[in-house]
Amino acid sequence: MINNNFLKKLLKIRNRKDIFFILLAFSIVAIFYIAPTPKGLSHNGQVMIGILIMAAVLWITEAIPLAVTGLLIMIIQPLLHVMSPNDVFTSFGNQAVFFLVGAFIIAGAIEKHGLHRRIALRFLSYFEKSPRFFTLGIMTSCAFLSFIMPEHGVAALFLPIIASILIAMKIVPKQSNFGKISMLSVAFGCSIGSLGTLIGGARNIYAVGVLSDIGINITFFDWMKYSMPVVFIALPLVWLILQFSFPIEIKDISAARREINNQVTLEGKMSKNEMIVLVILIITILLWILFSSHKYLGLAVIAILGCILLFLTGVVNWKDVEKRVPWGIILLYGGAITLGIGINETGAGTWIADQIFNLAGVNLYLVILMMIVLTVMLTNVMSNIGAVAILLPIGMAVAPVAGMSPLLSSMIIALSGGLAFMFVIATPGNAITYSSGYFSIRDLFKAGALANIICIIVVYLVALLYWIGVLNLHII
Amino acid sequence: MFKNVLIPISSEFYNKQVLERGFSLAEKFKSKINLIYIIEEKTLNQTDRLSNSYRTPYEIAETKNEIIRKQRQAADNIVFEDAKYFFSNKNISFESKIHQGEFSRVIKNELRNKNYDLILMGFNKACVLNYRLFDEVKIPLWVVNKNDGRSILAVCSNLAPNVKVPDVSLKLSEVLNLELNMVYVIDIEDSVQVDEKIKRSDKKTGKDLMFIAQNFIQQMENKGIKVHLLRGSFEKEVIKATEKYNPKIVIIGREQKKKGLLGLPVKNLKRKLVEKCNYSILYLN
Repeated sequence: MINNNFLKKLLKIRNRKDIFFILLAFSIVAIFYIAPTPKGLSHNGQVMIGILIMAAVLWITEAIPLAVTGLLIMIIQPLLHVMSPNDVFTSFGNQAVFFLVGAFIIAGAIEKHGLHRRIALRFLSYFEKSPRFFTLGIMTSCAFLSFIMPEHGVAALFLPIIASILIAMKIVPKQSNFGKISMLSVAFGCSIGSLGTLIGGARNIYAVGVLSDIGINITFFDWMKYSMPVVFIALPLVWLILQFSFPIEIKDISAARREINNQVTLEGKMSKNEMIVLVILIITILLWILFSSHKYLGLAVIAILGCILLFLTGVVNWKDVEKRVPWGIILLYGGAITLGIGINETGAGTWIADQIFNLAGVNLYLVILMMIVLTVMLTNVMSNIGAVAILLPIGMAVAPVAGMSPLLSSMIIALSGGLAFMFVIATPGNAITYSSGYFSIRDLFKAGALANIICIIVVYLVALLYWIGVLNLHII
Repeated sequence: MFKNVLIPISSEFYNKQVLERGFSLAEKFKSKINLIYIIEEKTLNQTDRLSNSYRTPYEIAETKNEIIRKQRQAADNIVFEDAKYFFSNKNISFESKIHQGEFSRVIKNELRNKNYDLILMGFNKACVLNYRLFDEVKIPLWVVNKNDGRSILAVCSNLAPNVKVPDVSLKLSEVLNLELNMVYVIDIEDSVQVDEKIKRSDKKTGKDLMFIAQNFIQQMENKGIKVHLLRGSFEKEVIKATEKYNPKIVIIGREQKKKGLLGLPVKNLKRKLVEKCNYSILYLN
């Protein structure tokens, strides 16, 4: 009777599907904890593999919030005596965490004063010549703004701007190819742009954090040097895919021009606060580019310096921080980084790598291709950072056996992790733009699958020709 | 016949043909049109859930309000503008409103609050709507599709009581001035007979089903309607018949096809037919 009541109450709080996945996730850890250990793998390593699969189940099904899974990963390791509490929580103190906090506060200041909107409208006004050119403008503007702000914020900014323009043009949702391309350009532009700098997506700074733990320090400029070719090659190619997938049926762009002019007029002159945010943003970016190496200031110091300047000038206050900094992502990040460390320190990563190579043999080019394809597939069905958090520790263990550096494998996985184009659930940017009603699930899949194939080829070629061929990243 | 017509349009899918059909029905039947635009809650919730860890509650609420504002703007500037063109400008009694919620639930609430004779709607399988209402509403439901022929195809079968379909088909063929074609399908996959109380009998032999079918055909011929007898899977035979007769509308009754494994509806028959058929379908629920 008591059990029945408890079950009823539990079912009221959570749905059956969630309860099933939570039980499944814990059962997996329990099985790995009690099962006999195979040759070559320690008991702790075996439990870590169980925790990795548990994290994958919870991140894919989202039976509990992503950030809570992050917290669970942190506490389950000391609970099962895989790692000490000190080791787990020390890894959370990585400077990349504070870089994230700083970057979110700066992005919050940009959003608070509407600077992002002004930049977006200015960008768009350069692309008013034809419908096709306009969609290129949307994609480019989203990508450029994703260099200085998290991609989801950029998608949320562009949704009302583009929707207003489409409504002014009387574009019928889901029926007009111009409407489809415009909204898909927002989603894909944000995703591609987010690869470009460390600010675009938390997975980028996660990769940098994991690398710094093994003594490889990547600066803001280094990241841009590695990632920008992917961005600038993928952007026009994905735009072309959209043009082929949905041939634009309209010729007249004058209504869009009028709407942009209206919105620019409504924005008025730049306010003093906007100017201050812009100046601090430029200073911070310049410092990141020039002085983010460990010899100088480091990424986090510059990010926090930018925040302090924002507070000192009074353009943000603590209430704004509470409103606009998603602490959940910081916790998610913390869980992800401890997962990576646990996998490496218990030897689980090396063991998984050995099993893969025993089955498939060692071929550098094949390993690179498989890494890209696997990451793209996984990032399409779960959160980007979750996918990278699961695959990066394995990728780093695979790297030395395959004859490549951890830096190369990290770049491959972190960049491929941002290519979530196919499904609405793949990334909040897709969901936000889908909610506009201008494209269907099938449209997204059709264009997204093609875009994913092209981007896999782009990352693969950049890895072989540029990262290995020019920068020699495989031997660092 | 259709005095009060409800036209629900979801933010997920807008088909102008529904308004065109609404206009032609309203002209013939002197109907009052009630248009509701439904901002789909499922899409909004999905966006909220996915953004949960990446954005703050404040930002999520900001985006949600922005989406709702834009959906309302799209309804006003596009859907209601078209509706004005079709109805108000042509002196057809017309009301419109905007709701937020889940498509089927909003429609069922609306049916509770007001008496309607017909639901006239579009269909798109590539959206998040589950179209539960196909099985859950008790009034006729007309699903508008792209192909538009010049006849009426009335479908009767061993799986339906076949009471409303003949009468409504005859009346519609007179009012709309369309040729009437009627078929009777003996579903060999589900060999039961459904009675007037919509109860399924035990399994019957092919001979019994044929006897009942021929009785029905005789009754219809007495009313002056020629009926073509078909044998096979209900869905497949209906689709084949639509291709043969090229109808403007297919009229289907309360088919009670058996459910899937363990009685679970794998995919309901009505939705399956709408997905596969390129012609408009009127379900006489």
